[in-house]
Amino acid sequence: MDLIFDILGSVLAVGPVTAMIGASILGVFIGALPGLNPVMAIALLLPLTYSMQPLVALGMVAGIYNGSMYGGAIPAILLRIPGTPAAIATTYDGFPMAQRGEAARALKIACWSSAIGGVASAIALMTIGPILARATLLFGPAEYFWIAMFGMASIGVMVGSDAVKGLMAAALGLLLGTVGLDQLSGTPRFTFGEIWLLSGLDLIVILVGLYALPPVIALAEAADIKGLSASDLKLEAAKLPWSDIRAFMPTWLRSALIGISVGILPGAGGNIAAFLSYNAAKSASSDPDSFGKGNPQGVAAAECGNNADNAASMIPALTLGIPGNVIAALVLGALLIHGLQPGPQLFHQNPGLVGGFMVQMLLTSLLILAVGGAAATRVFAQVQRLPGVMLVPMILVLMAVGVYVINGRVIDLWVMFAAGIAGYVLEKVNVPLAPIVLGLILGPMAEQSVRRALLISRGDPTELLTRPLSAALALATLALILWPIVRAWRAQKA
Amino acid sequence: MKHLALTIAAVALATPAFADYPERAIEVTIPAPAGGGTDTSARKLATLLEEELGASIAILNVAGGGGSVGVTQFMMQKPTGYSLLATWNSPITTVPQVQQTAYQPDSFTPIASTSETAYTLCVKPDFPADTGEEFLAELAANPAKYTYGNDGIGGTMQLAAERIFQSREIDAIAIPFGGAGETLQNFLGGHIDIYGGSISPVLPYTENGEAKCLIVTSAAPVDALPQAAGLESLGLGAEETLLWRMVLGPAGLDPAIVDTLAAALEKTVNDPAYVEFLATKGETPNVVTGDALADRLQGEYDALSKVAKALGLNQ
Repeated sequence: MDLIFDILGSVLAVGPVTAMIGASILGVFIGALPGLNPVMAIALLLPLTYSMQPLVALGMVAGIYNGSMYGGAIPAILLRIPGTPAAIATTYDGFPMAQRGEAARALKIACWSSAIGGVASAIALMTIGPILARATLLFGPAEYFWIAMFGMASIGVMVGSDAVKGLMAAALGLLLGTVGLDQLSGTPRFTFGEIWLLSGLDLIVILVGLYALPPVIALAEAADIKGLSASDLKLEAAKLPWSDIRAFMPTWLRSALIGISVGILPGAGGNIAAFLSYNAAKSASSDPDSFGKGNPQGVAAAECGNNADNAASMIPALTLGIPGNVIAALVLGALLIHGLQPGPQLFHQNPGLVGGFMVQMLLTSLLILAVGGAAATRVFAQVQRLPGVMLVPMILVLMAVGVYVINGRVIDLWVMFAAGIAGYVLEKVNVPLAPIVLGLILGPMAEQSVRRALLISRGDPTELLTRPLSAALALATLALILWPIVRAWRAQKA
Repeated sequence: MKHLALTIAAVALATPAFADYPERAIEVTIPAPAGGGTDTSARKLATLLEEELGASIAILNVAGGGGSVGVTQFMMQKPTGYSLLATWNSPITTVPQVQQTAYQPDSFTPIASTSETAYTLCVKPDFPADTGEEFLAELAANPAKYTYGNDGIGGTMQLAAERIFQSREIDAIAIPFGGAGETLQNFLGGHIDIYGGSISPVLPYTENGEAKCLIVTSAAPVDALPQAAGLESLGLGAEETLLWRMVLGPAGLDPAIVDTLAAALEKTVNDPAYVEFLATKGETPNVVTGDALADRLQGEYDALSKVAKALGLNQ
């Protein structure tokens, strides 16, 4: 009990509180600007805090991380431009809602869903984190292979109306994912002698191009010089009554569980969490066809899922000393610089600090409600009042700046534009873009995992199926593939 | 008048006034992702160096290709003294063995090495060996039985292990992972038999008894890992391979700037705050400058070239 008061006392001191509030506001902006992303912001800002007390630094990380995951939803809803890769799934229903004039309501739903996902994840981090972390150790290369396959099987639900086009898009994503130095043999693939291609195509660069450029071109095509009038914003319709909240409960619960599960396993991340959550909400819905046409449940699922990934992704880092993603690695780096030794004893040796960070992940999730709900929704909804002729150049500049800052090289800008033009053409011929992203992320994960598993088993493929956990994951993948067939067959019989 | 101003500006640019170096911010390229070992070491050092030099330092992380992407990008910088490279040894001495790189160890102006640490090989507590000698004997007696995780194919860690294995005719199966964290995860989960990687991630697990580290790749033993044998005691002192960090400049950097930077680095690396920070990561300071540093790079490159050839990895 004393420990809890100690932790609260140190977290609620002036420095950490200022850091959390400032960083949450900053995080929402970073998330909302396409190209800028939390990884970059934290990498730039964290070193500035090395001389300050650790809870100020960690409060800043928590605020930016949680704030940006919500911030990404803002342009996703208003402009169909995901502010961060994790907000891609938010565009599916968020933008149609905005087109119906329900932008403010969609923003409100995104805000509440983000906060709830974040809180659930922080609670998981505080309570069952160490147990979950131990469980993740059971996942070896064979299991990671099946996780990637499970994710890819879910493409089936994403392909849209034309399955062949969806599969073509997935194949394109898989192909792009092969570019770069092969981690297992050291052989460069499709690099054409270009050194910058050795690290593969930068995911963020491709995603910014693929997802942000086509909506910008569409805006330019509309050649809108007026923008909406203030009365068209329907801000008063942004109320979220209790009945709505109750209706979102099952979706939130499901998405939170998915987000937490994806978060603790290194390799996937918020974008996959959002996709899987969206997918699950659609599959569970009595009216799956309404998804993609402005169903608020789609926004709730995606936004809750990507925020639930956050605190959970810190679990392996804080309990085992194993960073699951770049932000977790940055946090561990900061702890090292403050003289702490990450590992299983970290919490026992520094309960105040680690517990404090966990509380900060919780508090900054709640701050989303204050920052997002009260202020951001009203402020950002005004973006719709800007005419396209002003928005287009502004967004293009922000995209270019954001992409350039990632690696500090001009070639990335060309990759972004190439991906964007490709995305524009593909959208025109009704090829869905989501399978490209899933292929690009999950393809390398599946390939490397299966080859590692086979190296370990000395080439014996039965190992992929005979370990209890790998068998269970394989069955889950099979079930996911068969489920639509069973449902269609049942519907036909009835 | 305008013409005169331009001429003055041109002359000012052409005549390097190095006496006042540094006059503006210095950009340091780190060819590794933010948050990793090289990154934290360099960033911590940068905070001390900023005070020492009285100039701000901007860090640019360019990861990929085992470090070669960032180093290659750095090669395009001019030797003004305002672009520096903070790297670990692998991109300079190991990567050129296995990739076609546009640079060699002598493509840079050596400024100073900063710190170093050994790699270690660790096993689970129930592994049938308790000393470095028993460990190598067990591996030699069971060819192709044990798997060891490493930081990537043809990486310094793998070559460090293979130097030891080749001299004892050991056949162990290398499983490459994305980094020491991933290797540790698979080691703790029992998916691989041997952890191969830097000391700092595995250190807490030797303290709680989940791992026993039996060999370090330095000639001398390491205080933090009392059970691990140094290579000298195994008669393999010549096969020492370390993980070490350094600051390099573009080729043709002015000697006056090199001296300024080397002196500043010498002082900051040995600052008690930095030494203490290094100790928590299992690293020790070791400043080598000038020609000695160039020799160290070339010597390591030549030794690793032999191992890479024997493994059939070399380009």
